[in-house]
Amino acid sequence: VTEATSRRAEHVLEVIRGRRVVRAFTEQAVSTEDLWKILEAARWALSGGNRRINKFLVVQDPRRIRLVRTVAPGMLGRPTALIVILTDLRKAAEEQVQVDKHTTRWIDVGTAAMNMSLAAHALGLGSCPATSFSRSGVAVMLDLPPTLVPEFILQLGHPAQPLPQPRRGGATRRTVEALTYWERVGDRGD
Amino acid sequence: MGRRKDGPMTNAMVVSEDEAYELLAQLVCSAELGTVEPYYYGTFRLLDAASRLMECMLRHQSNGTRDWLEAFKAELDQNKLLMMSDRPGYFRYLEQVGGRVAEGVKLHLARSSS
Repeated sequence: VTEATSRRAEHVLEVIRGRRVVRAFTEQAVSTEDLWKILEAARWALSGGNRRINKFLVVQDPRRIRLVRTVAPGMLGRPTALIVILTDLRKAAEEQVQVDKHTTRWIDVGTAAMNMSLAAHALGLGSCPATSFSRSGVAVMLDLPPTLVPEFILQLGHPAQPLPQPRRGGATRRTVEALTYWERVGDRGD
Repeated sequence: MGRRKDGPMTNAMVVSEDEAYELLAQLVCSAELGTVEPYYYGTFRLLDAASRLMECMLRHQSNGTRDWLEAFKAELDQNKLLMMSDRPGYFRYLEQVGGRVAEGVKLHLARSSS
């Protein structure tokens, strides 16, 4: 491992470890330049079979964000931008993805969402996932055609407060060892 | 001041029509999500709807018990998030939150009838 590789690894891991869910945002808008960088990160995300059945819808208009929030109980804060991950059913059909059976549909949403969250954090922005929303409600609020299904909403904005440090010994804290088996289930390798 | 069978009623409007529609959508969509979310999210959605209602009330200068309302909203917003980090603590809060809101209702009714 070269020094350059080591520095790069530490930098990436620092971004991964430092990211937090941010629910309180300032009123400052997210720049279009930053939004394109975040979308570029989504474009580089892993995709099952490289089929790319997702589309991304950016929402910056405060009125439209408010409309989405009314049908998205999972949006607890007031973000200044949204990126909605959509499944393009037409593209999925072209790629012969069985959307009701093929799990990569959800995996692709997750990889894109994670890349965008990390990119947002690296840019000094806060992000918060929202999956608790009415699919039909969001489709109506955003005038989506039936071929585009909303799967995930990434809420974005400038954090209103400093990011919290990780809680030590909290009820939900898990060590990586507790989450991992090594070679065989039941054998933690220690 | 209006009057109900069971006592006086203040007519101060503390929720606008736009806000009422937002709360309506929040409650209906929460019901929809209740079919797929873990059961404890149901209580969380109700607390969050209560918080959004209090936000409207405070925005429209709900008077009389404003100090109590501000304090209760802050308390509820802090404790509702325990659902994600400290579930036993969250359920302990739920056991006593009814008493907390009852104090506010009594205070409000006492002031509005005096």
